[in-house]
Amino acid sequence: MMSPSVARRTIATPVLLGLLLIAFALVAVAVGSKPFNQTVIDIFLKVIFVVGLWVFVGNSGVISFGHIAFACLGGYVAAWTTIKPMMKGMSMPGLPDWLMQTEIPYWGSAMVAAGWAALWALIFGSVLMRLSGIAASIATFAMLAMVNSIYSNWESVTAATSSVVGIPIVRSIWPYLVAALISVFAAWAYGISRHGLALRAARDEPTAAAASGIDIPRARLIAFVISGAIMGMGGALYSHSIGIVTPDTFYLGLTFITLSMLVVGGMGSLSGAVLGVLILSTLIQTLRRLEAGVQVGEITLALPGGVQEIALGAVMILILMFRPAGIMGNKDLSLPQRAALETRGPTGPRT
Amino acid sequence: MKRLMTALAATTCLTAPALADDERIVVGFATAETGFMQAYDKPAQDAAMIRIAEINAAGGLLGKQIEVVNADTKTDRAEGAKAGLTVIDAGADMVVVSCDYDFGSPAALAAESAGLPSFFLCAESIKAGIQGVGPNSFSASVLAAVQGATMAEWAYNKKGARTFYRLLDTWTEYNKGICDGFDWMLPQLADAKLVGEDTFLNEDASIAAQITRIKALPEEPDAIMLCTMMPGAVSAIKQIRAAGINSMILNGSGVDGSYWLSAVPDLSNFFVPVQGSIYGDDPNPDVTAFNAKYKEVTGGDPSTQYVYPGYVMIDVWAKAVERAGTTETAAVVAELEKMNAEPTLFGPRTFTSEIHHQNRARYLIVETNAGKPGVVDEWTISEAIPVAELMK
Amino acid sequence: MGSLLQVLFDALSLGSLYALGALGIALIFGVMRLVNFAHGDVIAACVFALLWPSVDAVAIIFAGNLPWYLLVPFVLAIGAALSVACEALVFRRFRRANPATMMIASFALGFVIRYFLLMLFSSRPKSISLLPALSQPVEILGARIPLLQLITIAVTMAVLFGLTAFLRRTRFGLEMRAAAENFTMARMLGVRANRVIMGAFALSGALAAAIALILGSQTGTANIMMGASVMLMAFIATVIGGMGSLAGAVLAGFLLGAVATVMQVILPPDARAFRDAFVYGAVILVLIFRPQGLLSARGTRERV
Repeated sequence: MMSPSVARRTIATPVLLGLLLIAFALVAVAVGSKPFNQTVIDIFLKVIFVVGLWVFVGNSGVISFGHIAFACLGGYVAAWTTIKPMMKGMSMPGLPDWLMQTEIPYWGSAMVAAGWAALWALIFGSVLMRLSGIAASIATFAMLAMVNSIYSNWESVTAATSSVVGIPIVRSIWPYLVAALISVFAAWAYGISRHGLALRAARDEPTAAAASGIDIPRARLIAFVISGAIMGMGGALYSHSIGIVTPDTFYLGLTFITLSMLVVGGMGSLSGAVLGVLILSTLIQTLRRLEAGVQVGEITLALPGGVQEIALGAVMILILMFRPAGIMGNKDLSLPQRAALETRGPTGPRT
Repeated sequence: MKRLMTALAATTCLTAPALADDERIVVGFATAETGFMQAYDKPAQDAAMIRIAEINAAGGLLGKQIEVVNADTKTDRAEGAKAGLTVIDAGADMVVVSCDYDFGSPAALAAESAGLPSFFLCAESIKAGIQGVGPNSFSASVLAAVQGATMAEWAYNKKGARTFYRLLDTWTEYNKGICDGFDWMLPQLADAKLVGEDTFLNEDASIAAQITRIKALPEEPDAIMLCTMMPGAVSAIKQIRAAGINSMILNGSGVDGSYWLSAVPDLSNFFVPVQGSIYGDDPNPDVTAFNAKYKEVTGGDPSTQYVYPGYVMIDVWAKAVERAGTTETAAVVAELEKMNAEPTLFGPRTFTSEIHHQNRARYLIVETNAGKPGVVDEWTISEAIPVAELMK
Repeated sequence: MGSLLQVLFDALSLGSLYALGALGIALIFGVMRLVNFAHGDVIAACVFALLWPSVDAVAIIFAGNLPWYLLVPFVLAIGAALSVACEALVFRRFRRANPATMMIASFALGFVIRYFLLMLFSSRPKSISLLPALSQPVEILGARIPLLQLITIAVTMAVLFGLTAFLRRTRFGLEMRAAAENFTMARMLGVRANRVIMGAFALSGALAAAIALILGSQTGTANIMMGASVMLMAFIATVIGGMGSLAGAVLAGFLLGAVATVMQVILPPDARAFRDAFVYGAVILVLIFRPQGLLSARGTRERV
C-alpha cells in the first residue's frame, strides 16, 4: 500500500507534531490548574476535528461544511452508550431496549462512535461524492443542516434540543492526547497511501487523473469515510469532556471555527492543520487572558469586553492576507536535513 | 467601570488559587459576562450583588464578609465548564451559574463533582436542579410549567375563558415547559376546551400559516396560550393582532418588559405572569424600593422580572448558611430543603429533597392595555405540579 | 380559495426575501468568485444603523425616526457604503486568492462585524418600530395579506427588472457582465476592474439593506443574528440556481421559499418540526441531479 521508503521519509512529520502535542500536555500537567487542563483538552479535541477535516478537505480540495455532522453523530453515541440506563430512560425513552441497557467505558464509546459516523459517511458519501466544487460544499452543508434538524427534533431518541446530561466526564488529559495522536498518525498514513496520492492527483489535475484511471468519486469516498470516523471519535470525546451534549454545539459555530483553523494553518498539509489549531488556540487564550486583565505592577491592563473576538477575526484576516495559502503554506513540518530533498516534492493546490 | 471591577475581581481569582477554607466565605459567579447570554445573566447577577452588599453592610454572613469571584463563560459550554472550575479553584463555597440550563449546566456539573452547591441564576427548567445536575444543585427562579398553569387557571377563573388555543415555539426547553404546565392544568378545568394547537419556530419571519389555521376556527378562541420568548415573540404577537385576532394572549414570563412594546403599538388584552413588578405598581412597597436601589446601583431600571431571582437566590442561600452555622455543603443543602413557603421579597419559596425548584408560586398578573402594562391581579395555582408530571 | 391565496402569497414573500439575499451573493460571486459570508452580518449592521449604540434594553432610535422617504435611501446608502468599505479594506487584497481563503476571510470579516455590533448593542434583541403602517393587512379575495408582504414582492420584482435593465442596457452593466465572464480579458479591453467590483459590492450592500428593512419591519426587532437564516438560504439558493447566474439565483430563492412554505402547510403536525430536514433533503436531490444548478451562466461551465 505505501512504499516503506516514503513512510520513512515522511514519518518525521507526524512524530514532530506528536511531540508538539505531548509538549502541550506536559505544560498542562506542569501548570496543574484544572481550568488550564480543560483548555488543553479543548485544544486536543479541536486537533482531532481539524485533522479529520484535513483528511478530506486537504486531500480532495473540496470544502466540506458538513463534517461536524459526523461529530454530532459521534457525540450522541457517547450519550446512548455511556449514560446509566435509568437516567437514559428518563431523557431518551425511545431508544431500543438493548441500547438502553448498554453501558460501556468512554474509550469504547469513542470507538463505536467512529464506526457509526463512518457508516453514515459511507451512506451520505456514496450519494454526494460525485459532486465537485461548490455544489459539493453546499451539499455537505445541507447534510449538516439535515442532521441538525433531525437531532434537534427527534425527542424520544435524542431528547431534541434538551441538553442530555449524565455522560461520564473524563477530566484527565491523557485519553485526549492519545486520541489526538491516533488521529494525526491515521491522517498521515492515509496521506502517504496510494489512495491519498490518488485523491491529491484528482484535486490538482482532475482530467489527467481520470484519464490515468483514478475513480474520483471512489477516492473521495474513502477519504470521506476515514475523516468521518475521526470526526465521530472526536464528537464522542467532546461529550465526555463536558458531560453534556446538544445538537447546536455541533452546528455552524464549530464548523466555521474548525474550517478557519484549517485554512489559516494551511489547508494543503497535515502540519498546517495541526499548527493552525495550536496557533489560533494559543492566540484565543492569550486574548482571553488579556480581556480578563493582566497585572502590570500596580495597574491592571484589560482589553474591553468583546474585543477578543474582534481581534481574533482581524488577526485571521491579516494572516490570510499575507499568507494566502495559510501559515504553513503547503509544507509539512520535517527535520532540517530533509528539507533540501523535499523542495522537489509534490506541489500543493494552485492558488 | 463595571468592566474594570469585573476585571479586578477576575484577577483576584487568578492570583489567589486556594481551596475553600473556613476563614472566608466566597460566592463564585460562573456566568456570561460576554456573548449572547450576558444580557440575561448580568441583570440577575447585579441583583445578587445588591443582596450581597446588603448582607455585608449588616455585618456579613456568620460574622464574615462575603467575597465574590467571577469567571466568564463567554456563552460557550466548554468555556462554562472552565469557568466553573476556575471559581472552584479560587475557593468558592457556592457556585452561581448562568440563567439558562443549557449554558449553566457545564459549570453546575463541575460544582457538583467538586461537592459544592450550585445555583442557577434564573433557569426555569426542571433540569436546573437535582434532576439535571445533582443533589446539590438549585434554581433561584420558578418553573416554566408553573407559568403556563397559572395563566390557564387564572384566565379560566377570573376571565371566564373556556376555549383555548395552544401555540408553541419549539425553539427552547423553556417554551416547551410553559406549554407542559398548560397541558397539565387544562384537563383539570371543568368544561375548558382546547380548540386547536400549532407550532412555529422562533426565527420564522412569518407565522401566516399558523394564523390562517386560527382564523379558520368556527369561533375565535377565548384565549391563546403563546409559549414563546424573545426575540421571535414580538413578531408572532404583531402578526396575531394584525390578522385581527383579538383573543386574550396568555404568555410566560419570558415576554415581560416594556422595552419591546413600541414594536406592537396599542397592544391590549395581553397577560404576563411575573414574580415582581418592574412597573412601580407592585403591591409590596419593598419591591418598588428595590427597583429604586437597582436603578441607583446599575444606572437603569430593571428591564424584566428576571432581575429578581438573583436577589432571592442570595437571600435563601444566606439564610440557609446562617441556620446551618457553616458553609459546608451537606448542612446548607439540608437547611435549604427544610424551607417551606419561606418568605422572600418576591414570594414564598419552597425546596424539598425531591425538587430544588419552585413547582408552585405566587405570580402577579400583568395586563397590557393600550400599550401600557400594569399589575391587575395575583394568583397561585391551586396545587403544586407533581414532579412526575414535570419529568415527562 | 382564500387559504390557497394566502399560501401563495406566503410562499412568494418568503421567496422574495431569499431571492433578494441570493441576488446579493450572486452579484459578488459573479465578479469575484467570492462567496461573501459577511452578507448576513451586513444585513444586521444595516438595521442597527438606525439605533444609537447602547447596551440598554430599550432601543434609542436615532435615524429610525426619519420619515420613510428619507429613511429608506439612508439605509440603502449605509448598506452600500458598508459593503464597499469591506471591499476596499479586506476583499481587495484577496482578489487572487483561492476560494477557500476568500471564504474564510469573508467569514472572519462577518465575525468581526457581528462582535462589533455585540459590543455596541449587547446581545439582547432591541425592539424597533419600523414603518409600522406596513403591518396592516389588506383583503384580497378572502385572504388577509399584510401590506408588507405585498411590498416585499413588489420591491423584489422592481429590483429584478431594474437590475436586469441595468445590466443589459447600461455601459456599466455591460462592463460588470464582461468582468463576470472573463475578468482578465475584460481588463485588457479597458474595463476598470476596481470600479466594476466596487459597483457590484455597492449593489449587493444596497440589497442587504433592503432585506434589513423588510426583516426589521416584519419582526419589529433588531437582533444581531437576524441576517443569518436568510443568508444561509440565500447561499443555498445561489448555488442551486447556478453560480454566477443572477436569474438562477432569483428563481432558486423563490423555489426555496415555496418549498418551505408548502411544507409548513401540508406536513402533519408531528412532522412539522422536521420541515427544515425535508427542505435540505430536497436541496441535496437538486444538487445530485443538476450539480451545475438550474440555470448555469455562460462562462462558468468547466472547460477542459
